Amino acid sequence: MSNSEKNILFAMSAAPFWHCGRTITKNSMHYMIALMPAVFMAIWHWGIPALGVMSLSILVAMLTEELFTRVMHRTSTIADGTAAVSGLLLAFLMPANAPYWIVILAAFCAISLGKMAFGGYGANPVNTVLVGWAMVFVSFPVFMDPNSMLLQTDFIDPLVRLKYFGAEALQNASFTTSGLMFGEQIGALGASQILALLVGGLYLLARGVIRWEISLFFLIGVLLVAAILNEVDPSKYASPFFHLMTGSTILCAFFLATEFACAPDRSLGMILFGLTGGALLVIIRTYGVYTDGAPFAVMLANLLCPYFDMIKPKPFGVKK
Amino acid sequence: MRQRFQILNDPRFRLVYDEKRRFFEGPDPATLRLNIEHFKVADGIKKKTRVFPGMLLATHASLDKGDLHSPIYGIVSDINARSIFVDAVKREADDPVLEPRDFLEEGREGEELRWQMKEMGVNMRSLGQKVKTLIINGLNPDPGVTWAESILQTHANNLRHGMELQRRLTRADRIILAVPKGSTVSYDGVDIVYVEPEYPNSVNSVLIREVTGEENPPDIGAVGLHNLWSLGRVGTSGYPLMETVVTVGSATQWKNYIVKNGTSVGQLLTHAKVELNEGDTLLRGGPLRGECLDRLDRSISKGTVGLFVVEAGTVPPMEGHSPCVNCGACVQVCPAHLNPSTLSRYAEFANYNVCFQEHSPLCVECGLCGYVCIARRPVLQYIRLANAKIKQMQEFVYVDTEENASDETTEAKK
Ligand code: SF4
Ligand code: SF4
Repeated sequence: MSNSEKNILFAMSAAPFWHCGRTITKNSMHYMIALMPAVFMAIWHWGIPALGVMSLSILVAMLTEELFTRVMHRTSTIADGTAAVSGLLLAFLMPANAPYWIVILAAFCAISLGKMAFGGYGANPVNTVLVGWAMVFVSFPVFMDPNSMLLQTDFIDPLVRLKYFGAEALQNASFTTSGLMFGEQIGALGASQILALLVGGLYLLARGVIRWEISLFFLIGVLLVAAILNEVDPSKYASPFFHLMTGSTILCAFFLATEFACAPDRSLGMILFGLTGGALLVIIRTYGVYTDGAPFAVMLANLLCPYFDMIKPKPFGVKK
Repeated sequence: MRQRFQILNDPRFRLVYDEKRRFFEGPDPATLRLNIEHFKVADGIKKKTRVFPGMLLATHASLDKGDLHSPIYGIVSDINARSIFVDAVKREADDPVLEPRDFLEEGREGEELRWQMKEMGVNMRSLGQKVKTLIINGLNPDPGVTWAESILQTHANNLRHGMELQRRLTRADRIILAVPKGSTVSYDGVDIVYVEPEYPNSVNSVLIREVTGEENPPDIGAVGLHNLWSLGRVGTSGYPLMETVVTVGSATQWKNYIVKNGTSVGQLLTHAKVELNEGDTLLRGGPLRGECLDRLDRSISKGTVGLFVVEAGTVPPMEGHSPCVNCGACVQVCPAHLNPSTLSRYAEFANYNVCFQEHSPLCVECGLCGYVCIARRPVLQYIRLANAKIKQMQEFVYVDTEENASDETTEAKK
């Protein structure tokens, strides 16, 4: 049948008519894929409780989002998957046997205060996940501290070692580099699956979902400052690679610092943002009261983001 | 290769496609619809007039815009404010035949030649720019448009004629031909520069930057290869311009046709055996900068560079109201260093003054911001809207300050 005989209704659209194919929903899907290795490793190490925390966190995050879109008379955004991703990332920052009420509270706070209060996905000035995490971490430090929650394990918490016993104690401690990589350490259930997260992060980079400047320079920031300190006094300050493989450094570098709503848009800004985040991480770990400074470092960097965004080139052809 | 490698990693953006076939003949349409907005219908052309190829149908007052000629033997079936319709008829023995002319032989130059070519139907606005240096944009203008290599290599005679006529216009002191890096074309006496054939380098202002290293330098202009091909077509054939070269692209095929001015897109698609389905998007121009068509009886005109079908389901649909999620992808890819994210938001909320302060008129309309937008916002559309409003406001202000001038001068200025 020739075209003119059919009565065809065309889809109208606006230029450009081609598209890169990336959408919010697809990005969420990529995040989920990227997080899967760490999910498996977490279940492998911590068993059913870890699965429980992750499922509950995702569920509450999604329900909270649905609730708020209804209250705010918005179209439902639950299907775009961003709430589910936030829920999972939040669970990654919790001990495997965190009590259920704290998981619910954290997920609710993350989505309500860290996302919907600002108008929804992409409008928040500070990372959604970290808002929820910080609320419960500061309010209920004991329940959020993996070291006090996970008593029935042979693993040890390398960061606690470092904080209270100094870098020298790390030498005789019973962990190896490969052990750390495979998550054989006490830590938040997902954040400590270093190798799995690394694989996932590289996957996101390859898909163009996150910006390599941020991840790379976040890690460089960590290495740089840690190396300087380590150079000054190796007996007091841990080696730079120790910082990479403990706490939530990798999770932050690839999954949290890269949340683009609260990261700069242009390359130079991203580089400085990454460096700042990475440097703050080591500084907080070294001089702060918290053993793992990574989430706080990211939040501080988030707050500095508007300043990094001021670095921009002149518009096309504008002189002076 | 930097961040762009991540965000813009579409192989189609590489503007060389190894397409060197000669152009295919377009359809012999049964009816034509020729746009005559802002044209004046030529004397003696009315309903039922019998027309022949090359016969003058309408003239345009401006030197920039070519006059309109009939591409076929036919009978004018209707004339309204916007279009002339011509029904094709068989050629008869006593139909007049236009003698081809040799414009190089006739030897006109400068202004005279410019008028002559305009009368032969060529749009002279870009070709006749008065600048120090004129760069001929030898790249395919949009991704997916594939005629540039064929014009440069297979249709070299045509191009040579075009460049010779262009030289004789003597409007530009110097003419440079910009071709894709790696290209081996050469023409006697023509300066050639090589540019990376990667979109958006084919957008005129970006191309000028690639060639000169400066952004919006004064006294430098660019003209598209398509336009020059038209001039060369007149030069080699000796007839008025009656057709254009169009890339027809769909998921299944990709071909370049020489299409008669006024052919409907429906006829061209049928001729090219492109099947259409419900929900497809039909567009005229390039896939990044073109315009959407709603009906198959829209026609191909002299400036049409391509006709594309984007099959339903091959791009994520645009869903109307979609707020910006600050992903920053548009900011990273914008070749004009603008912030399409905030500009589109200001435009969305009718804050055109702020758009102006934020330099939205400097947008080069490459369309990349919309191409990368994960929220599927019509980013470029918002910016075009803002710029149109800004222009309106500027014109308004301009007329306003002339309030005290006599009616005559105000009229004249308009
Ligand atoms: S169309 Fe978009 S990306 Fe291109 S110059 Fe304009 S604002 Fe920038
Ligand atoms: S690409 Fe779209 S969603 Fe992302 S910042 Fe630009 S306009 Fe906003």
